[in-house]
Amino acid sequence: MVTKSRLNRAQLIALLLPGLLVFAAFTVYPIIRLFWMSLCDMSFSSMLTQPFNGIANYKEVFQDQTFWTVFVNSIVYTLITVPGQMAIGLFTAILLNGIKRFSVTFRVINYLPVVTSWVIASLVFRYIFNTEGLLNYFLWKILGVTSSNIRWLDTRWGGISVAMILGIWKGIGWNMVIFLAALQQVPQDLYEASDIDGCGAWGKFIHVTLPGIKGTILFALIELTIGGFNVFTSIKMITGGKPAHQTDTLLTWMYYKAFSTGKFGYAAALSFVMALCLGLLAIVQFRMMRNRDN
Amino acid sequence: MRTRTKLLAAMLACLMFLTVGSAFAEGETVTINFWHHYSAQSAENETLMNVLIPAFEAENPGIKVNAVSHEWAELHDKVLVSAKSNALPDVARCDIAWLPEFQKMGILVALDEEMPDFAEVSGKLLDSAMSTTVIGGHNYALALNTNSKIVFYNKAMLEEAGVQVPTTMDEWVETVKKLSGENANGQQVWGWNEPALAGWNICPFIWSFGGSLTNEDQTVATGYINGPATVKAVETFAELVKAGGITGFNSGDIPMTDGFGTGRYAMMLEGPWKSAELAGAYPDVAYGTAPIPAGEGGSISVLGGEDIAMFNTANKEAAWKFMQFMTGEFAETEMAKCGQIPVNKAALESETVKAADYAPFIEAIQTAKARPTVAAWSEMDNDLTVAMTAVVSGEKTAQEAMDELAAKWDELLK
Repeated sequence: MVTKSRLNRAQLIALLLPGLLVFAAFTVYPIIRLFWMSLCDMSFSSMLTQPFNGIANYKEVFQDQTFWTVFVNSIVYTLITVPGQMAIGLFTAILLNGIKRFSVTFRVINYLPVVTSWVIASLVFRYIFNTEGLLNYFLWKILGVTSSNIRWLDTRWGGISVAMILGIWKGIGWNMVIFLAALQQVPQDLYEASDIDGCGAWGKFIHVTLPGIKGTILFALIELTIGGFNVFTSIKMITGGKPAHQTDTLLTWMYYKAFSTGKFGYAAALSFVMALCLGLLAIVQFRMMRNRDN
Repeated sequence: MRTRTKLLAAMLACLMFLTVGSAFAEGETVTINFWHHYSAQSAENETLMNVLIPAFEAENPGIKVNAVSHEWAELHDKVLVSAKSNALPDVARCDIAWLPEFQKMGILVALDEEMPDFAEVSGKLLDSAMSTTVIGGHNYALALNTNSKIVFYNKAMLEEAGVQVPTTMDEWVETVKKLSGENANGQQVWGWNEPALAGWNICPFIWSFGGSLTNEDQTVATGYINGPATVKAVETFAELVKAGGITGFNSGDIPMTDGFGTGRYAMMLEGPWKSAELAGAYPDVAYGTAPIPAGEGGSISVLGGEDIAMFNTANKEAAWKFMQFMTGEFAETEMAKCGQIPVNKAALESETVKAADYAPFIEAIQTAKARPTVAAWSEMDNDLTVAMTAVVSGEKTAQEAMDELAAKWDELLK
C-alpha cells in the first residue's frame, strides 16, 4: 500500500513538474526579479550597475504628487465602473433569463462590445466625445440644448468619465454571460417555495436570487476590481493622460515612468504598491462576503 | 534574464545572416554591426543596403557592415537591454534625445578624446546639428541628419483676413488674434495650432523671445527658465490660448493636419514631414511656409534629427571609418534623395538639396537650437508640460509656474 502511494506521489510530481517549471519561470521568477528591481536604483544613469537602494523607490512613489492624483483616478474609475457594469450586467441577465424567444440574439448583441477591440472602441469614443465630435453635434445642432461645444475630454474628470462610460459599456456583456450562467444554477424549487410564502418579485430577488449567485458576485467583483485597476488602453487612447497626467491611471503612469523617463525602479515599486492594494482589497471583499453569509 | 537575452541575441544574429545574406570572408575581415531605425521597407533602407554599404565595403576592403533595422522605440529599448548583456552594436543611428541617456549609462565613446582627426571630421558638419552631440563638454556622436520646424500658413485664410505672414513676434500676436474667431460657416477657427505643450513646442517661442532654458553648461535653470524673457514668452503664449487664438494640445481638439487641411487652424509650426502628409490627405489646401517670427532673440526654431554614435565595445577603427563615410558628402547626398536633410556642409550645397521639398527648412536649421542634452531631459520636458498646462489653464501665473519649474530643474540638473 505504502509503495503504491509513493509511486503515485512520484507520478504526481512527474506530471506536475512541467507545469510548475513554466509557472516558476514565467510567474514566480519575474515577480521576485521585479521586487528586487523595486529595491534597486534603476534609471538611465545606473542601468549597468543597478545598485541596491533600499526603499528609496517606495519613498519616491509616496512623495510624488502625481502618484496620488493617478491613484485617486484609479480608485474612482474602479468604484464607478465595477458596480456599474455588474448592476447593468445582472439586470440584463435577469431580463434575458426570463425570455424564451430571441434569447440568443440578445445575448450576442449584448456580448458584442466585449469582443470589439479596446483600441478601436476607445477611438470611437474619442470621436464621439471630441470637442467637435458626434455628441456635441447632436446636442447643439440637432437637439439645440446647448449653444456651444462642450469640452468633454479636456478636463480631469471629463476625460476619466468618458473612459468610465466606455469601461461600463464594454463590461456589461461579460457580466451578463456569467450572471446568466449563475442564474440558471439557482434551484427553481426555491422560487416556487417563495411563491407559496407570498414573496414578490423584489423579495425573490433579494432572498433567493442574490444569495443563490453570491459566489459569482464575489468572483466578478474581484476580477473586475483587478480589471479596474489595470485600465490602460482606453486612457492611453482617449486622453493619453492629458492634461499634464491629470487623467492618467496607475498603469499608464507606470508605463510613462518606465519607458519615457527610464525610471524602471520607480515603476517596479509602483507595481508592488498596486499589487498590495489589490491584495488587500481582495481580502476585504472575501471577508465582507463571508460575514454576510454568517 | 541574461541567458534569455543571449539566446535572443543569438537568434537575432542568425536572422541577420539570413536577411543580409552576407557571408564573412576568411582572414582578417572585420565586421561592424550597425543598428538603425530606417524602416525596413523605406527608400532610406534601400539606399543604405544597395548603395551605401556596397560603396563603403568597396572603399574599405576587410571591413564588412552588418546593418540591422529596428523600430524606432524598439531600438532605444534594445540598446538599454544589450548594454547590460554586453551585446551592443559597434555603431548606431540614434535619435538626438537618446544620446544623453546612453552617455549617462557610460556606453558611448567620447569621439573628441579618442579620435585624433575628430576636429577635421566634425568641421565638415553643421555646427547647429553637432551641438546635439555635445554632453558635458565632449562629443559623443556625429550628426547624421537633421530637421527643424517652420511656419506653415493657409494662404486663403490669411488673404481673407487681410493679413501678411508675421515676421516679428509682435506681428505674430496680432496676426494670430486676427485669424481667430468664426468662419463663414459659423465654425470656430484658430490662428495658431500647437499640438502639445512640451519642449519641442514651446522652446522655439522661448528662444525667439530671447529667453533660455538653462545656462550654457546646462547645470542651472534658475535665472533662465524663470528669467524675464522666458516668462514673457510663456505669458504671451498663454494669453493667446486664453483669447482663443491657440489650441491643439487638448485631448478633444481637432488633430493638427485635419484642422489645418480643413481651414480651422490658420498657421502652425511643423517639420518637413508635414508637406508629404498634407499632399496625401489635403492635396487641395494652398499653403506657404515661412521662418518662425523673430523676437528679441532672433528667429530660432528647434532641432530634431538623428546622430550616429559609437559604443565603447566597438572595433573603434573600423567603426570610425564607417561613421565618417555615413556623414561624408557621398552618403549624405544619397540619403538626401530619400528626404533625409543632410548635415554635411558640402552635401547641403548640392543640387539635390536645393531642389528638395525641404529646401525651405535649410535656413531654419542653421540657427535652430537643440533642446538640453542632459539625461534628465525627458523628466524636465514632462515638468515643462505640467507647468505650461498650469499657466494656460490659468491655475498659475507664468512667473509662479516658471519659478517652481526652475527649482525642480535645478534639482534634476545636479
